[in-house]
Amino acid sequence: MIPRLETPRLILRAHAPDDFAAYAADRADARVMRFIGKGETLDAEEAFRSFLSTAGHWALMGYGNWAVEEKASAARIGNVGFADKKRPASHPAHGAPEMGWALSAPAQGKGYAREAVAAALVWARGHFGAGSRVVCVISTDNAASIRVAQNSGFRQFATATRYGLGRLVFEREL
Amino acid sequence: MDIPRVETERLVLRGHTLEDFPSFAAMWADPQVTRYVGGAPLSEEDAWAKFLRVTGHWALLGHGFWAIEEKASAKRIGEAGLLSVKRDIQPSFHGVPEIGWGLLPEVHGKGYATEAGHAILRWSEERFGRVRMVCIIDPDNGPSLRVAGRLGFAPFARTAYKGDPTVILERLPL
Repeated sequence: MIPRLETPRLILRAHAPDDFAAYAADRADARVMRFIGKGETLDAEEAFRSFLSTAGHWALMGYGNWAVEEKASAARIGNVGFADKKRPASHPAHGAPEMGWALSAPAQGKGYAREAVAAALVWARGHFGAGSRVVCVISTDNAASIRVAQNSGFRQFATATRYGLGRLVFEREL
Repeated sequence: MDIPRVETERLVLRGHTLEDFPSFAAMWADPQVTRYVGGAPLSEEDAWAKFLRVTGHWALLGHGFWAIEEKASAKRIGEAGLLSVKRDIQPSFHGVPEIGWGLLPEVHGKGYATEAGHAILRWSEERFGRVRMVCIIDPDNGPSLRVAGRLGFAPFARTAYKGDPTVILERLPL
């Protein structure tokens, strides 16, 4: 079962098949994707693969990424959560649950990411145990997400390169 | 995740569990396996994303790929099942279930793919009735084309998928 979390303005819940249209629209939007993966948008088939992985992660690992729903509009406006990405042992993010978040372009700039991250971190403390370590990997140019990480208790401890793009790697204890 | 268990004379079809991942990753890192499917061996990280998709497909859609276990050895020897993955292919077959299979090279030539395929078709007919189904196969993959023929599939289009020549076969409702 995928837990449901609530914040003053948001609900974090499982993705349902009906969320795919909103999910795919985000993955096709350069404003959402420029700092994710290769920095490229995804077509519907690629977005569906990623959508299926998200559901499978919860089923196999017992944790994962939630859909973020805006209470005011009842619309899915993004995702937040934790993943085991099986990064190679040489990657500084290897070996700890990796946090990530993404918001639809119109939902950015409202403090939603920070609000969703805070709720997910509270859940993670209970799930992974107080004192356990989580990481996140953010593109060097993604100033907005770097601020979210810093304001959420993450400290940068390493850098990495992926697809030729620079990344900052952050960690925090739960 | 309740993935149904299907038995045949020599095989068990069952859901994948985390313990299957090493065998899954080894299979998809084998160039003999990827020669006709995907084209290139998968890194552990890419195999993991695929592994998550397999379970996520069941969780979101209620059908998907099973692990195939050989009764005699109690080992996972491959996978087969039904997909609905929004492939970016022409002619498009969105909404039509696609059957697929993949076996480790050492168990090729024993009729296992045909045996699993018949069981999947029976399962599918109980669940969805006799509906049109498709599969896509590399035109150089003679063994899989013969399996498809035995399962009642006939070629109806020659096309390209992700730049590689592909045959689309269909099995029509009675």
